[in-house]
Amino acid sequence: MSTTSQKHRDFVGEPMGDKAVTALSGIGEILGKKLEQQGFDKAYVVLGQFLLLKKDTEMFTDWLKDASGANSRQAGTCAQCLKEWCDAFL
Amino acid sequence: MPDPSGLTDDDLKAALLELGVKAGPIVASTRALYEKKLRKLLQSNGHGCLNGVEKDELYSDSEEEEEENGEEEDKELGSEGEKEEAVKQSDQAKQGSSQVELCFQNGGFVYPQCFLLSSRLHARASRNSEPSSKWNSGNAIESSEQRRPPCSQIPVGISRASSVDQHSGLGSGFPSGSQSVMPDGESSISSQAFSITHMVEEMESRRPLSTSSDTERELNVSNVQKHWSRSNRLDMPIVDTMKNQSLYYTPKASPYKWKMKLTQEPVKDTFKDMFPNTDATTTGIYATRRRPIKGAAGRPVQYAYPDTPVSPTTLEKREVERRLVPIQIQILVFLIVTCLLYLIYVCVEDNSFGPSFALLDSLYQGSDSEEGLLLQAETQDVPALSGQE
Repeated sequence: MSTTSQKHRDFVGEPMGDKAVTALSGIGEILGKKLEQQGFDKAYVVLGQFLLLKKDTEMFTDWLKDASGANSRQAGTCAQCLKEWCDAFL
Repeated sequence: MPDPSGLTDDDLKAALLELGVKAGPIVASTRALYEKKLRKLLQSNGHGCLNGVEKDELYSDSEEEEEENGEEEDKELGSEGEKEEAVKQSDQAKQGSSQVELCFQNGGFVYPQCFLLSSRLHARASRNSEPSSKWNSGNAIESSEQRRPPCSQIPVGISRASSVDQHSGLGSGFPSGSQSVMPDGESSISSQAFSITHMVEEMESRRPLSTSSDTERELNVSNVQKHWSRSNRLDMPIVDTMKNQSLYYTPKASPYKWKMKLTQEPVKDTFKDMFPNTDATTTGIYATRRRPIKGAAGRPVQYAYPDTPVSPTTLEKREVERRLVPIQIQILVFLIVTCLLYLIYVCVEDNSFGPSFALLDSLYQGSDSEEGLLLQAETQDVPALSGQE
């Protein structure tokens, strides 16, 4: 059994479409609000940032920590989630 | 080196490239990141590769570089220096990964704590056996079960649960020994606010143990919980029957016995009437005290059972006999037939064939009824007989 959460599986299982940023694994209400304040109101915008960083999970993690105040675990989860989504759908 | 924040986007990109970082588009959102990265690289290059933190940073870069090298086939810069750095960083990355593996292994070492607990439980189990043997002096099974060395937590929990089951199950058989246990068990079972932790605490408090950690209790509780629920269900009927009768410990026996008594009580009286000499034990009825049936005492028998226990064969016989001709009538008919035959025999024997033929002819004529012919035969025979005599 993998260590991914149900949220992760739900996100990676289908195209994100117009999902909110809180649909990302690791992003809860508080982090979601902070991201929305910075302009990242949808999951695809965060995906854009991830792609801008050339799908580098390390850099994305650093960015997410700076942007939303996420801890290492949350940022890592989100990065992993986006990476897998990209592997599946991009 | 210039301050990363003062550089233009292109310069920043170039600087990063010199250090081996293939940066993506430096946009508003990514600029800060790349600036930070450049600073770190400059610091690491300036101080050298001594600190572990810097090593981590290098590893991250190396990972990035490995990814970038793997991803992109078209490399504009194929300088040897880069390749050497890539090789060095790949080695360092391998070391980093090995360190990561160690970390994971260290994380995996969390598990041996359970073995420590189990070792503690070993000691507890050995200590448990001593007081339990004191309680149940004649209960060799129990003590042997607890003396069995359990190797993990779960068997200990099971042995404890089974020991408790034995406590309750054999409590009726050994009332003296287990009285100390049962009252607590009964009180805890009867009380509505029953909690497993409470019971475990009670059992532990009785045992002279100085060290009893909460974690152990919780573990035991969690392991024993399922067994307790089962044992409680079993204990309930046992406790109830114990309250009524102290002799029988199987819960099934008591309701069965009540049923037996219900069905057999009216028959009892008739049996005594019919067979006053037989003992009550022939039918397996024991005259032990039972809960009296409400309202049955003192009332006369309102409905009568059949006098004798009628078997189905006798019933069939009776029905058949009803339809058959009664035996009295059968005897009468038999007598009449014998008389008739006798008369005919006499008539045939005594008389000559002439009158017999005449008789026969008269008989065959059939104008008269048989009775009339019989009468004639009788009248003729009587004078014949009288004539002979």
